[in-house]
Amino acid sequence: MSSVTNNGDGETRSREWKAFLFITVFLFPILSVMFVGGYGFIIWMLQVFLLGPPGHGG
Amino acid sequence: MKSFLLKAWKTFARPSVHISLGVLTLGGFLAGIIFWGGFNTALEATNTEEFCVGCHADNIAPEYAGTIHDKNRSGVRATCPDCHVPHDWTSKISRKIQASKEVFAHFAGFIDTPEKFEERRITLAQHEWDRFSANKSLECRNCHDYDGMDFTKMSPTARIQMKQAKERDQSCLDCHKGIAHHLPENMDSSGGMISELEQLASNTKYEKDENYTSVRHLPIYEDKALSVEAGLLNPASSVKVVAESGDVMQVEIAGWRKDKGYGRVIQEDFGMNIAVASLLKESAQNDAVVDKFEIKEDDLTGLPWQRVNVKVWMKKDAMLANVQPIWDKAKQSYQTNCSVCHTQPAEDHFDANTWPGMFNGMMAFVNFDTDSKALVLKYLQKHSSDFSDNKH
Repeated sequence: MSSVTNNGDGETRSREWKAFLFITVFLFPILSVMFVGGYGFIIWMLQVFLLGPPGHGG
Repeated sequence: MKSFLLKAWKTFARPSVHISLGVLTLGGFLAGIIFWGGFNTALEATNTEEFCVGCHADNIAPEYAGTIHDKNRSGVRATCPDCHVPHDWTSKISRKIQASKEVFAHFAGFIDTPEKFEERRITLAQHEWDRFSANKSLECRNCHDYDGMDFTKMSPTARIQMKQAKERDQSCLDCHKGIAHHLPENMDSSGGMISELEQLASNTKYEKDENYTSVRHLPIYEDKALSVEAGLLNPASSVKVVAESGDVMQVEIAGWRKDKGYGRVIQEDFGMNIAVASLLKESAQNDAVVDKFEIKEDDLTGLPWQRVNVKVWMKKDAMLANVQPIWDKAKQSYQTNCSVCHTQPAEDHFDANTWPGMFNGMMAFVNFDTDSKALVLKYLQKHSSDFSDNKH
């Protein structure tokens, strides 16, 4: 255990917590919204160019 | 900057040293719950009447207010998103993204005033009609299910229409356009039939002793100076030119009228209610305008009819020497407008005196202007069983 608790210990701990919070609070929510929005956009474009408006029970 | 990104990437890519797997997973799990809850809350918030009215307070909300979907005896309401946002998740997300185009059009100034909106209404309405047509009015049918309809509780006219619609699994909006909104202004479901015929008529050469047929209602006058009005000539009515001068002509309208009241309406033939012209009271009683001939009694109604010849003046305008283009256009209009809701009866299924009642009963469902209406009715009467070889 002594090898882990070296000089950079406190710095690494704070970096890991910052990274964790950044990912869960900002990065992944934003990516999720972009992903869902992109999915909607692709469906829209498919409807415009290929499929036509959504059909009955489809 | 580069070293910061590098450090950050190293932290991301490496197993964590100080935070346990349990804390990481729990943290991610909780954040996921909060995110998805928030996402759906936001999605629902943009799916409320209040949200829509936030922008559409001036142009849409007033016309929707008071319609059957807004206020009714049972208090069940269908608000904007119930009809305009698909309920299925994928279609819903895709529709939400589409709305970004509408928001863009507003802020970029393409459609940012009520006037511009009205101008574009027909285009925008067509988008929705296309959507409803493709999904067979799925959003209506989320509530109004054909299988749930009790046809015995409908009025007879509704029953006939709705049963046929069910058999064909028809889209509600085929007939019920404008149920919650104003229809686009100048929406001309006759497809500009009258103006097309008028254009055709601009080439007509008017000559004495020839017959011409009107393409729309035309004013007629007692005198050559066109100063004393005599009444209106109906669309698709034939007259004979007896004199002409400059851009006016004197025409002869031959027909029959009921010898009762003022005798204002001139019909095409004895016993048939096919209107050719309607005269003003004074002109109808003016012997200088109306020549009277023999009187016959109609056995069916017991009414006396009199053969008349009306001589009036009119402009050389909006008439065709050949009647066929008028019948072609009217036939087209009859077929497109009426087949939207039901299989239209053959023209010769009814006689000339039955058609007006049948036809007027349907006028609430189509957007005909008065000229188109009179023209199509006359087409039906003139091709009814009275004029057809294969009589019913």
